[in-house]
Amino acid sequence: MVSQIGEALQSNSVIITLNSVGWMAAGLEIIHYFGMFVLVGSIAMVDLRVIGIAGQQQNATKLAQRLFPWMWAGLALNFLSGFVMFAGIAASYIPDPTFHMKMWVVLAAVVFGIFVQWRVPAWDKSPTMPISAKLIATVSLLLWVGAILAGNEVPALSGLG
Amino acid sequence: MTDSSVVTFGNWLQHQSFALAVATSDWAYPFVQATHFTGLSLWVGTTVATDLSLMGMGNQYQSPLQLFNALFVWNWIGFCIAVLGGFLLFSAAAATYVINPAFLTKLGFLIPVALILHIVIQTKMREWGQQPTMPRVARIAGSVELLFWILVVTAAVSIPYFG
Repeated sequence: MVSQIGEALQSNSVIITLNSVGWMAAGLEIIHYFGMFVLVGSIAMVDLRVIGIAGQQQNATKLAQRLFPWMWAGLALNFLSGFVMFAGIAASYIPDPTFHMKMWVVLAAVVFGIFVQWRVPAWDKSPTMPISAKLIATVSLLLWVGAILAGNEVPALSGLG
Repeated sequence: MTDSSVVTFGNWLQHQSFALAVATSDWAYPFVQATHFTGLSLWVGTTVATDLSLMGMGNQYQSPLQLFNALFVWNWIGFCIAVLGGFLLFSAAAATYVINPAFLTKLGFLIPVALILHIVIQTKMREWGQQPTMPRVARIAGSVELLFWILVVTAAVSIPYFG
């Protein structure tokens, strides 16, 4: 069933074109990287602010509200370009254990990112950031670095991409 | 330097023990890549946020100057991490990189121009921030810098296409 979806995706003519025309394939990678930088940079700055080592003279809620639209924009660019590249060789990615690991780490990172976004205004009300907030922000930061590492491990360990 | 002396330098560099370690180790290369990309996330992420605020985009919870002040230190920490990771990646295959036109365009033209613009914007930021609305020149500078970092990523992604 899942492998049939994979076959269907990678035989779709739009997907084939996007992945096989040189400048389009390069364009997908550019969008994937650029979106990732904006996504991870935005969430990392909020995490670092919550941890207490960035922008301490600034209000954490305002910084988060300023950056989170770019986090979502980066996530959208990163996800859409990533999906098209995945679809291009979906049947190879679907059974790959390293790719599964990447997706789990990315999912955990997104969940923590959304949780931090949701909690920052409440954490910000206390005079100092609660220790639980700092721990959650540290986990979020580590998960995002882990997501980048897992992304690099897919071609390194599985030879895909 | 002539072409051949650049290649000689590249060959020398990639035979240094640290460069061989990156190039030949099963686990080191993805870690070094992750270092480069983590640094770039901080550098490009904070730079793009500042440029977009100069362009008047996004919400106004913070002024561009406040946002810039909050991001400034980690902007440059990100730059240092990216350069460290980038240098190690370069070292691992230096002789191939020094003759790659996409790499040469990236390092010899796009990054220097983007960096100069970045530093000019940072030195002007305080002055622009005093004014009630961002002056036109700030909007233009922000858009041009944003464009240049997109071009840097474009050149970087193009490197394997020329390799």
